[in-house]
Formats: sequence, structure tokens, C-alpha cells
Amino acid sequence: MLQRYRIRWTKVGRTRFISARDLTSVWERALRRADLPIAYSEGFTPHPKVSFPDALPVGVRSYGEYAELTFAAPIEPAADLAALSAALPAGMDITTYLEVPDGAPKLAKMLRVTLWELAWPPVDQTELRALLTTRADELLASTSVEVVRRRPDGDRTIDVRPAVLALAVATRPGTPTRDAHTVLRAVLRNDGPTVRPTDLHTALAAAEVAAPAAVTRCVQGTQVPGGVADALDGEVEPLVPDVDAEAA
Amino acid sequence: MLGSAPPGLAPAMPARDQRAPFRRPGPAATPPPSCWSALEPLLPQVRKPAQYVGGEHNQQVTAWEAAETRWLLCYPDTYEVGQPNQGIQILYELLNERSTALAERAYAPWVDLEELLRAEGLPTFSLETHRPLWAFDVFGVSLPHELGHTNLLNLLDLGGVSHRAADRGPDDPVVLVGGHAAFNPEPLAPFVDAAVMGDGEEVTLEIDEVVRRHKQDREPSGALVGADGAEVRHALLRSLAAVEGVYVPAFYTPRYSEDGRLKRTVPTERGVPARVPKRTVQDLEQWAYPRKQLVPMTETVHERFSVEIFRGCTRGCRFCQAGMITRPVRERRPETVQRLVEQGVADTGFNEVGLLSLSSADHSAIGPIARELADTYEGTTTSLSLPSTRVDAFNVTLSNELTRNGRRSGLTFAPEAGSERMRAVINKMVSEADLLRTAEVAFSEGWRHIKLYFMVGLPTETDEDVQAIADLAIEVYAIARRHGKANKVTISVGGFVPKPHTPFQWAAQDPPEEIRRKLTLIRHAIKEHRGIKLRTNDPEEGVIEGLLARGDRRVAAVVERAWQLGARFDGWHEMPTLEVWRRALAETGVDLDWYSYRERDQREALPWDHLDAGLEAEWLWEDWQDAQSDQQLDDCRWSACYDCGVCPGLSLEHDTGYTGGYSLPMLPQGLGTSARGPEALPTAPERYAGGG
Repeated sequence: MLQRYRIRWTKVGRTRFISARDLTSVWERALRRADLPIAYSEGFTPHPKVSFPDALPVGVRSYGEYAELTFAAPIEPAADLAALSAALPAGMDITTYLEVPDGAPKLAKMLRVTLWELAWPPVDQTELRALLTTRADELLASTSVEVVRRRPDGDRTIDVRPAVLALAVATRPGTPTRDAHTVLRAVLRNDGPTVRPTDLHTALAAAEVAAPAAVTRCVQGTQVPGGVADALDGEVEPLVPDVDAEAA
Repeated sequence: MLGSAPPGLAPAMPARDQRAPFRRPGPAATPPPSCWSALEPLLPQVRKPAQYVGGEHNQQVTAWEAAETRWLLCYPDTYEVGQPNQGIQILYELLNERSTALAERAYAPWVDLEELLRAEGLPTFSLETHRPLWAFDVFGVSLPHELGHTNLLNLLDLGGVSHRAADRGPDDPVVLVGGHAAFNPEPLAPFVDAAVMGDGEEVTLEIDEVVRRHKQDREPSGALVGADGAEVRHALLRSLAAVEGVYVPAFYTPRYSEDGRLKRTVPTERGVPARVPKRTVQDLEQWAYPRKQLVPMTETVHERFSVEIFRGCTRGCRFCQAGMITRPVRERRPETVQRLVEQGVADTGFNEVGLLSLSSADHSAIGPIARELADTYEGTTTSLSLPSTRVDAFNVTLSNELTRNGRRSGLTFAPEAGSERMRAVINKMVSEADLLRTAEVAFSEGWRHIKLYFMVGLPTETDEDVQAIADLAIEVYAIARRHGKANKVTISVGGFVPKPHTPFQWAAQDPPEEIRRKLTLIRHAIKEHRGIKLRTNDPEEGVIEGLLARGDRRVAAVVERAWQLGARFDGWHEMPTLEVWRRALAETGVDLDWYSYRERDQREALPWDHLDAGLEAEWLWEDWQDAQSDQQLDDCRWSACYDCGVCPGLSLEHDTGYTGGYSLPMLPQGLGTSARGPEALPTAPERYAGGG
């Protein structure tokens, strides 16, 4: 009796440098350490049935990773997935799970949009915020914004505009452990040609603004007024960071 | 540009005379700065950044202030190559188990990161906490081969530590090397403080104790208060030299005759031994490590839970340094192997188990070990591997047993030489009939690919001997084809490099042009047989290895110059450093031909004569003479002792199941006989049954 679960998980701290290629064995070993009955594919080299809807670029932080796990025997999801979370390397944590009924739409179909965050270090805050705000407004007001993505195998021109659903610029105040910094948050569509946060930076202000020091995938799901609702539990991550809530 | 990260994130590296506060024992120490926050922004710019982040399952982190002694253990190659190293993992676990010590690990940064580190002023760092090399008490480096020497110098320099031992002071780490290449540390003599000979388990803990006491002596009211820097360092080196198995090169000097040949290496410091003996752990059962093996988060060369099933080998292959310097044979008990595997697989989550040793099918209870493990993991996704290259049907039977779960793809055998005569010279006791019969068994039982290892450039080798490699491959391929048109044979041919402490230590190495010519002979001979694949390495790759393997202290100048000229990662195809080495040889006036391509005679002293691997020089010489007259020598595990010198010299003995009248089908067919037949899996010797 196969049992499927979809989970949301994080990839932050040191684990953000693990490549998509290496992730499969990191998950397989954690599943084996937690002694969970993950199902395996058939064939001479069986692989555990863990599927990821899309790859996160190496180095990008994420609180909005998802995966679908297929188990060969029933599990106690709350306890067993907590044990799996504990068996994963520090920085990778399972934050939500949902059992998948038969006939459920594909996970990728539930991940319609992504909320991205681009963050800059605590310098030039007033100017940076003003410039990014102006450029964001201009981008949203236009119908097409083409950028050239430079690749060793040839440059590619892509139109960023169709993917952009919402943009917001904010200053995140400092905390005792972190200085204040400027952030740009963007809701991008996941269907259509892939637009990466780096493309967005190029489209907005590549000439005047340094590449963001940190890029984070915050959540994926559906766009709702004021933010993005998580695909699994519907919790809404606001587009404009809720500074007071984070400070508390 | 708006929003640029402010520069100057790298923590300042204190001047050498300002480092004492970081190195004090226990809570009195100032923890050195972590370079993580300065390193992190560099990582997106380099290849495979996950190799630099640490954080693996089973890594150990101890607070700086909680330890009296602090070790940085290093494998001087990339993480990908070095992480699986068992020696480092054993010592890492042993040191971290000790309440007064901490051990972290370091690997060589690839050239892309090194460039960024140097530009940003960042040092060689530890993986666990990204602390700088200069703050540790001991930099313990494993040298499994010679091609990490330039990396060692580079890691020191990058780590804020002088690469020359003479320039290091009381507040610099002790630079310690061990591993097989440390059995001739002379080309590194000016750079290392000490070399450890032999098994590391016991001696490492003794060294840790010496360092701990030395640090106490430097504390207020200690014996060394008031001593100047040179005196303090000298006192530390003296106490290290007093540990059995520790060689301090600064306390010895080589004497050369007028024609440049070495006369002797003599002690120059009162009280140090004239010959430094190797250390040997007699009972492996007392050292069941590593238990908590590190689980990488990025690709490495061996991703499996490895258990060393025995140490040492007495097959007596004359080219094999490992087999000579790790004698005698000491086996781990089957029940211990089983327990280590079961606990380790559950703990690490690895899906493969490797049973390691120099010739794993030779364990006296390998049959029961294999059967028990195969039973345990039958029907699971855990696979078993036995890196054995023994040429006999029993090895095929074992491999069948271990692949119950999976596919029978490839088997590897190592006849090493093509002709019967040549195999007698190298003492590889395999007949052509053995090999062909083994191939027949393997292909008939469903194996589809056989890989054969050979060497060219062996002593006394003629073109007929080289041709015989191709002939053998063609015969094996004929057998392969009879069992399936798609079956394949690969021959892997390497150039022989003579190594210290072996009967071939006196031999001339073939220059690369000669190796290339011999490889061409083989390539021509197999040309019409499309199913035979020939794999070779660039013959030039053996040049640096050969020079460093048998070089003396004068070769150190070449190592230093080559490193200064940019040599790194000398074993990597991606880093063709031979031209740099040739320039370094020319600039230092060191004659490669004289060191590598010349046969030595018995009167000439060898640079490692004062380092005692347990083997009698007289026996090695006789074995060299026997080799040249095609005389073979049996394995002393199951035949009479031939006085190589190891056992009585070190008050040791073989620790195997062979005693007590038990015999196994270990003798290769054609040279010995077995009542049980080659296919029978041997049962456990009685001594194991009762656990003692």
C-alpha cells in the first residue's frame, strides 16, 4: 500500500551550497538513517521515490522547497516526518506536510507562483530603496522588458515582464544579530519561460545596483491579495515583509 | 554601485608573535576568528562549493576553550578525494573521543578558491568551524602517496605558517606527516617537524599527550617558563622524537660521498634513535574504528561505509610498498566486521558497504563474512563490495555471493604482468592457466566485463614480456566472446614506479619514453580486437611520483621550487605540472636521471635506511636477487617463515585464522592444491566460533 506525502522544506545555512545533483543521495541517506519505508523504483539501480518539482540554483536560500515522498508502508506522518527532519543536515528542515489523495493534481501544478526575496547589505539604503522602487514601478507599467542572459553556450534574450505578478521594495530593520538591509520581493509565475531572480536584477538595475548579497525562495503556491499562499497549508506569506511580526 | 558588500570582511591574521593567546590550553584561550562569514560570499563563485562548508553527519565540533590540544587533520588533496580516507577518519574519532583534545579537518582548496582566498587574505581553514590553520597545535597530514607534497607546502603557506620547519617558532603548529609516503619523508625533510611511521592509532594518542604536557610546561609555573622561542620549540621536538615511531628530520643529517651517493644518514641530536622503528598495532580488535563515519553532502570518490577487515599483506609482491610496510597480517574478527557494518549502515545511511584491505579475499574467514552480510542485506537496497583483485575462481564465488541483490557487471583481476617469467620476477603467483580458468568461471556465471590490471616498466622486462600482456588479453577476450557477443575485456596498464622498503627499491625506473613505447606495442598487438579496451595513464605521470618516492633530502629543493613556480595537485590530469617540475629540476641542478633511471647497488645507502619498516635490509636484497633470477617466494601466512624480519623484530605475529591446522583454498590454483575445491566457501575457523 503506497502512501504519498508532499512536504515543504527549507534549504538554508550551509546546505544552500548542496547541488541539485547531490540532493538525491542526501535525502536517501537521511531516509535510511530515520529508518522510514521509502518506496524504491524498479530496476538494477533502484532509486528512492523522492521527487522534486524544480531545482534551486546552488547558493540560493529557500524556505519554499517542496518534495513528494512515496512510502512503501504506512507511516505516522507527524512523528516520522519529524524524525526525517531531524536526520537531515542542519539547515534542511521539513516545515509542512500533506498526505496526497488519489487523483490529486500534480505537485508542480500546485506551485503556480514563487515569492522571491533579493537582499542587499546595509549600505546606501535610502538611495537604493528609491531607485529600486522607481524601477519596479516602471517595470510593472511596461508590457515587455527584455534582458540578455549570458551563458557559455550562447546568450539568450528573454522577456522578464510576463512572469512578474507583483513587486515590493522594503527596508528590513536591524536586529541584534543582523544589520538593517534593503530587500526586493517579487511574485513570479512558475509557468512559461523560467525567469530567475538574477534576470530580475538585470531587468531592474544591473548597471547601478550590485548583485544581491542574498537571494531567497520564500514560498511557492498561489497568488492571493497581498502575498502568496503556501501550496500545502495555505498560510499566506505577505509580499511586503511583516517587519513587526518578524521582530516579535 | 549601490548595495555593494563592504570590503574587508576577512578577519585579520595576527602576526606570528601575537598568536600565543589563541593557543593557550583550555578556557584561557582566545578562540580564533572563524572565516566563515568572509568565505561564504566567495562560495557562489567557485566549483563545487559544498566541499568547503562542512556540516556533514558525524562531524564533531568541540568548543575551542574546552580542549587543551587542538589538531587539524589534513588530506592534502580535494575534499572529493580526501574525505573517504580511513586513516584521517580513525584519528579524527580517536582524538575527539579524548576529553582534552579536539580535531577538525582540512582539505586542499581547488585553485579557483585558492585564488580568491589569497586575494581576500583568508587562510587555510578547518571544515567544521572554519578556523585558521595557524591557530592549531598540530597540523597532521596524511600522505598516502607522493603527489600531495606541493599541496602540503601550499596549505602551510596559505594557512599563515612558514613552509620551512626551521622558520617555525613556539607559537606555530607542529607539522606532522604520516601514511605510506611518510616512509620516505626525506624530500619533505626541511618542511615537516616530524614524520610518523606505521599504524597511527596508538602513536597519535601518545603524541597528543606529549603536546598537552608541553603546553602545560609553558604555562605559568611550568618547566619552560623563561625559555626563549628556539629553546621551547627544541624541547617540543625532543619530546616528540622520544615517542617510538616518530622521526624528527631536523635531528638527522645525510652524509654524501664525493660522487654524490648517500653514505649514511646520521643522528645529530643526543639520545635520538639511530633507526626509527615503525609502529604496529598488534590487535585490531582493540581499535574498531572509524565507527561514526562522516557522510558527505557532495560527491566523493568512495561513497560507502567502509570496514577494514584486515591490515597487512604477506603475498610478497615485490613491487608493492603497501604489502611490505604494513606487515604482519592482522585480521578483524567476523563478528566485529558484522557488528561494525550493521551499526555503521544504520548510523550513516550509506547504501553501500566496502570491505577494505590490501587483498580482501585473503581474510581467513571471508567466506562466512560474505555469507553473513549477504544474508543480512538480501532483498534490501544495501549493496556490498569487496575490492579484491585476486585471480582465482574463489574470488568469483565471493563476488557472486556479494552481488545477490544486484547486477553482475564487472570483475577486476590483477595479474600485474603478462608472462609467466615476469610474474615470477614480481612474485605474483598466478599462472596463465589460473587466469584463463578464472575468466571462464566468471563469464559462465554471468559476469559480462572483466578488467585486468597490468604494469609495464618492471625490472628485467623484455618486449616479449610486454607482448605477453596483449596475448593474455586476447585469450581472455576469446573466452569472453564464447559466453556472449557483448562481453567486454578492459586492460588497464600503468607504468611501474619503484618504491622504498621494497625489493625493487634498487631498480631503475623506466623513463616515460620507454613506457610510451611499451604501451604502443600493446596497442598495436590488440588493434584488431575491437572488444578489448586499453586504458593507460600518461607515462609522464610517474615521473614526479618516482622522483619523490626515492628522492633524498636534496630533492626537497625541487619540491620547494616547483611549488613556488605554481605546482599544485600534481596527481590531477587537469593540472599538468610536469613542465613546472622540469624547470624546478633545472633551476636546482637536481638530476632526474640519476635519481630515477639508475639502478642502485648494495653498497649505496638509501635515503630511508634510518627508517625501519621492520624488513631486514639483507632479506630485501636477497629477495631482489631472487627476483632477478625469477625465483618465487610463498606467502608466509600459510608456509614457512622466510625471515623478512618484521615479526621477531617488532615482537609481533600474524593474527589470522590460519593457525590451529585450519587451511583454506588460498593458494592460487596451479601452485597449490585444495581439498575443498575452489568454489567452496570456507567456514569459520574454530577459534572464531567461541569468540576467542
